[in-house]
Amino acid sequence: MQQVIGVLFNGLSLSSILLLTAVGLAITFGLMKVINMAHGEFIMMGAYTTFVVQQLFLSFAPGAFDLSYLVALVAAFAFTFLFGCVLEKLVISRLYGRVVDSLLATAGISIILQQAARSIFGERGVNVTAPSWLSGGISLGGVTFSYNRLFIIMLAVLSLVLVVLIMRKTKFGLQMRAVMQNRDMARCMGINSRRIDMLTFGIGSGLAGLAGCSVALLGSVDSTVGQLYIVDSFMAVVLGGVGNLVGTVFGSSIIGFSSIGIETGLSSADIAKCLVLLIIIVFLQFKPQGLFAGRTRQLDE
Amino acid sequence: MPIRKVSSKATSKVTGTAAAAAAAADATTGATTGKKSLLQRLAKSAGSPVVFAIIVIGLGVLPLLYSSGAIDSTAMIIFSGKCIALAILAIGIDLIWGYTGMLSLGQGLFFALGGYCMAMHLKMVATGGNITEFMHTGGLSELPIIWRPFLTFPATLVLIIVVPAVVGGLVGFFIFRNRVKGVFFSIISQALTWAAFSLFMATSPWTNGNTGITEIKSVFGSIRGDANLDHLYMLFYVSLGVLVLVFILATLLTRTKFGKLLIAIRDGENRTYFSGYSVSRYKNTIYVISAVLAGIGGALFVNFNGSISPSVMTISYSIMMVVWVAIGGRGTIIGAVIGTLLINFGEYTIASGSMIQAWQFIVGGIFVVVILFFKGGIVGIFTSQLPAAWRWLQARLGGRGQGKGADQGAGGQLAASQAGSSADAEVG
Repeated sequence: MQQVIGVLFNGLSLSSILLLTAVGLAITFGLMKVINMAHGEFIMMGAYTTFVVQQLFLSFAPGAFDLSYLVALVAAFAFTFLFGCVLEKLVISRLYGRVVDSLLATAGISIILQQAARSIFGERGVNVTAPSWLSGGISLGGVTFSYNRLFIIMLAVLSLVLVVLIMRKTKFGLQMRAVMQNRDMARCMGINSRRIDMLTFGIGSGLAGLAGCSVALLGSVDSTVGQLYIVDSFMAVVLGGVGNLVGTVFGSSIIGFSSIGIETGLSSADIAKCLVLLIIIVFLQFKPQGLFAGRTRQLDE
Repeated sequence: MPIRKVSSKATSKVTGTAAAAAAAADATTGATTGKKSLLQRLAKSAGSPVVFAIIVIGLGVLPLLYSSGAIDSTAMIIFSGKCIALAILAIGIDLIWGYTGMLSLGQGLFFALGGYCMAMHLKMVATGGNITEFMHTGGLSELPIIWRPFLTFPATLVLIIVVPAVVGGLVGFFIFRNRVKGVFFSIISQALTWAAFSLFMATSPWTNGNTGITEIKSVFGSIRGDANLDHLYMLFYVSLGVLVLVFILATLLTRTKFGKLLIAIRDGENRTYFSGYSVSRYKNTIYVISAVLAGIGGALFVNFNGSISPSVMTISYSIMMVVWVAIGGRGTIIGAVIGTLLINFGEYTIASGSMIQAWQFIVGGIFVVVILFFKGGIVGIFTSQLPAAWRWLQARLGGRGQGKGADQGAGGQLAASQAGSSADAEVG
């Protein structure tokens, strides 16, 4: 029983990390049809932002160190949001409708960003210290639930709720959905589609920054940290059905739980990763549009 | 480029405005333009073989340069050998991406399969058919079954072709039958490579995990040091021969009906379906061909490199392979070769010492600019952008001197050339 709960908790934890990294992708890939290969590097930027904010706190206000992580959350979102907006203006906005080219251009950006991280922070990984209110955990029935993993689960749920609220309840969300559904018609109704595009991409990038903050809690941060999550996040979005947030939740949960489950069963993380990916690939053969695909009669998307 | 050929032949028949204007331009500006278009036509049909011949000769004289003392170490020759292997792989990528429009981010998988086949044989040669040290460490007491076929060289040669072909054929069969296409194909191919990477890491008693297979010589024996120079030269020229063969076959392939159908699939997949062709079968065939080319490239690469590890299956390496083709010029076989050689030699010369950091910025930057503004890559610059710029310049200068008629004619020609280049640019 204990082991089962432990596995479930680990699965939930991994799922929430994947969800955090995939929500941003679900917006840029699912809504905007932009394959952002630099998404992993946005995660890395968020993680490094956390590190930098902590270093600043250590040198200027060591007494308030416990606050540093909260500040870092805001800073990471803000930094990656701004960077995403700039990138959209300079590069992505020229590539709408050229999906494969958007993939390649952002892959080029990702090469540049990885090198930038190596040049600034060095080859070796840096470590982020968890604030005191996130160290330790609670024990229930012999299973330890560590605070930082609980926090990540909370953060994932929170950002998902926020995204849904923004998309469903605000005027900006309405405009965003309008532009993504029919750009020309939305522009005819007086919506500034270029501004919407920029902000949407910015939000997607900002969410990657938040994910980076949480990833930084789990291990050391180096220039390739984003690459660890990018394939799984893409698979989560594709598995759930592109353009569907509920699908992304299911997609990341399936990958998260099955990875941990197989890993516990076979005691090898590599085999688990391999099997999960293969299973998903096979699954996508039967439902190429993912779990929750919108019905369409269109031949070419 | 079939589109080009049609438009240049059909100027007299087609009654489209741009074509008519171009014909008028030929008539008004007279002999000079006529000659130029003939020259351009010649350059277009003979350009790529000539450039390739120059590249082959340039690579071929490297050993002579070393013998005469112009190069002071064999490292350059070994490195060129690796580039030749990678160019073969790049031709495969170009066939599926540049010609058929399927962006595979997983060519590293097939490269690794071919490479591991070769490396396993070479390791068996090195150990004399006994089990290796990492198998001992992994707890194996006798040679695993999957290593047995690699004891003999002929079997290895067959497997280098067969293993990538079977894996590619199986994967392709399911993916294309279910009409997975576009970016979904890219993402799945990437995930597949990532899965294979994990598998190779996990099965370390058989594959030596992260370290990979090391301490091996080439099929001709050791290639390091001056004493083994003839081995190195032999390996180098064999590889160069394979590259020439692959280049010729790939070029011929693109000129057959099969090749034209690949371009048709790229430009209008559904139209090709509706015309009664089994698109998935064509896609699968070209996918297998590119997998085999990647495997051959990997096998040659191992000979020069002296080791192979799962790092060739990382995502970034597979993307880098696409970068070579994109910068060289997708949709032209010669572009894949040019891009691979240029980027790798650039890295070799620039990325030493402190410049290694700058190099990644340069490559990334060039890549983004190429994707944004030069879809045809380097080849595209020479075949469409430069001629278009030249004609534009000519139109501006000639228009002032010769008056209204010539101005209109040249303008029309510019329009026609732009129409041609934009049709050309619809690659991928």
